[in-house]
Parts: sequence; C-alpha cells; structure tokens
Amino acid sequence: MPQKKISIRIDGELVTALEGQTILQAAQEAGKAIPTLCYLEGLSPAGACRICMVEVAGTERLLPACTTPVQEGLAVTTVSARLTQYRRMTVELLLIERNHVCSVCVSNGHCELQAMATSLGITNTRYWYDFPTLPVDMTHERFVLDHNRCILCTRCVRACAELEGANVWDVGGRGIHTRVTSDLAQPWGESPTCTSCGKCVQACPTGALAEKGAAVEEMTKRTDRLTRLAGSKRAQP
Amino acid sequence: MHNNLRDSLDEKERAFIDQVIAERSSRPGALLGILQAVQNHNPRNYLPMETLHYVAAKTRVPPSQVYSVATFYALFNLQPQGEHTVSICRGTACHTRGSRELLESLVLELGLGQRDDGDSGGADKATLTTADGVFTVRTVACFGQCALAPVVEINHSICGHVNEHTLQRQLKELARESD
Repeated sequence: MPQKKISIRIDGELVTALEGQTILQAAQEAGKAIPTLCYLEGLSPAGACRICMVEVAGTERLLPACTTPVQEGLAVTTVSARLTQYRRMTVELLLIERNHVCSVCVSNGHCELQAMATSLGITNTRYWYDFPTLPVDMTHERFVLDHNRCILCTRCVRACAELEGANVWDVGGRGIHTRVTSDLAQPWGESPTCTSCGKCVQACPTGALAEKGAAVEEMTKRTDRLTRLAGSKRAQP
Repeated sequence: MHNNLRDSLDEKERAFIDQVIAERSSRPGALLGILQAVQNHNPRNYLPMETLHYVAAKTRVPPSQVYSVATFYALFNLQPQGEHTVSICRGTACHTRGSRELLESLVLELGLGQRDDGDSGGADKATLTTADGVFTVRTVACFGQCALAPVVEINHSICGHVNEHTLQRQLKELARESD
C-alpha cells in the first residue's frame, strides 16, 4: 500500500511528506537541514541530544524533529532566535559536562560536536567546565573508549544493537553519572559479546570511540558506510 | 573470566532464579520484576555481578541491558546492603530544616568517611554501608512528608522532626538489637 501523502509547512514553504515520516526526514527530503547530533541515518532515532528541536505552530513546547511524526497541516519553524539560543545552550552544557578539549583530541577537525559548536558560533562556555575524573578504556586491542569525550548520544549503542546485533553497549547509571558501558561494565577488551567490527567507532560523532594509533586530528569517521549498510539490510527480505 | 561466573552461584540460588524467570518470562518488561524478586531473595538485599550475568544468560536479554536497568533504578543495589537502612531526605524542605547537617553528623558517627555530596548530583545512588554491615545510609529526594521536615526513614518507617540526638538514640537501639 503506498504511503499517504501529507502536506506540511517547513519555514513557510509547502512540502509534501509521507505519512509515518518524522519532521526531520521530511525536512531532509525537501533539502532543509535541521542540525542533529544523536541522529544517524539508518539507525533508529533516540531524541537524546535535543539539538534538532523545532518550533511547531500551535504548541509552546519545542519538539525534537527526529522523533516527531508529521501530521497534516503541520507548520514547523527550524530557524529562529529562540531555537539558536536553545541549541547553543545544549551544546555548551554538553561541552562542560565532560572534558572536551579539542586541541588534544584525535577527532579535532572531524568532530560533529566541534562542528556544531562552530556553526552555532560558540567560542566559549558561559559555565565552568565540570572537569569530572573519567577513565579511558584502552583494553580493547584495536579501539579506545574515552569517556572524557562522550556526549551520550547512544549512536554506538544503536549501531551495535541494530546493525551488528551484538548488543555490547548500553548506558549504565543515571544523571551526571551516566556512562556508556559494555556488557556488565567490564573492560571492553574482556567483552565476550564484542565482535571487534568497529561500527560503534564509526558511529561515534566525537573522539570518544577511536581507533588505536590515531594521533591528534587523525581520527576520521565514515558514518556514510553505516547508513549504506543499514539501507542494504533493510532492502533484504 | 565472565564465562565461569555462572558457576560461582550455588545450586539453590540458580534454582530460585530459574523459577522467578519461569513465572514471569511470558510478560514483556519482565526484567524489572525478575531483578526485584531476585534482589529481595538475596540475604544482603543486592544483586551480585554473578546474579546479573546469570539472569542475562537465562532471559536472553543482553548483559548490557541488564546492567543498564540495574544501575538506572535506585531500587537496585549492586553492593551488599546493611541490616538496617537509614534514608535521609535531601529534598528542599528537609534541606532548609538542616538535613545536610543531619547527614554529615550521621556519616561521621558511623565512620563512613568521604561521601559524594548529594548537591553535586550524586544523590541518586549515594549509598554508604558501614564496614560491619549493620547500617546503610542513603539519600532520598523527597518522601512527600515535608510538614515533618527533616524526615528520616529508618527501615521503612518514617520519622519526622528528627534531630541529631533522636537519630543517634534510635540508631543505638537498632545496633543493640543486631548484637
């Protein structure tokens, strides 16, 4: 059965979307870019980062574009002073929560968080860095997990569960103590479920997951391959 | 190392967990109930890593998800709990009536040493147990008994208008009972 077509307005422009699509998908198909961090095409949306928040006419609340389905007559605003203010605040809070120091990071120059901060014009944070003492897990023979650079977007969790099917990762703890953990929080290198496929590393938007041996600025990620893999998986019966 | 963890649970414990899982496994979201029943069965009221590993293997839920659930809910303990549980309310009303001083004096009294301050967000699972395993002290956000502030819950009964002296008297009584 063909999907029902729906008309919505994105930034005043009339756009045709399909029933069941999210605002983000409809916007992307119409060539409108909504900034995202935790969204990765091919993985299920998580609504974890709150960067893709948009204004929807008729409600005071901001809604995440990646998880909000389109409805007939929806009018969405993706660019406004209020949204920029919220997005800046979100990125600043992400920055202060962990020890994000770009100049010494393997992903410097290839980091989605850094790019987001740059595009929002963030040159400094209005709050003090929290400087938590966080471990670096070097136990895996090929990869490194650096909690100092993690933004808890859960892209690694979803890539591992949905593309590899190994379910190595999940988030343990809560609040400020939340960490990405492998299995029962044992060292990554001792994980009996990890297949060392490296999809989590490629999915990671920052330098939190990286290949061993990469020096500053050397870690580039290929998220497009994950998207392509997800597409071919879906095409299979 | 984790593959032989299963063997470190004794026969009886395994049989109990098997039964709990069998009773609940048909229901979706059964994990919470399973973990709760298994924790209540534990004499020290906690979930050892071997138990989590066994539950994960038996329910075929990925270990990472079991760990995620067990660490998200304040209900679950991954450390052995004391015989008596003292929960000090760190909600706003209790805070203004001196619950921090109460907590600090209790921590000193029981020799619990440095603690993660509840104000920095560590309140969620700020749980401390004395070395002799008699008392566990934990912080709670609010009991909904703000008129009785500061409120302390001792072994699931609420005590209102607590001060350092009344608290210490009650703890001494409890300590005498456990001797």
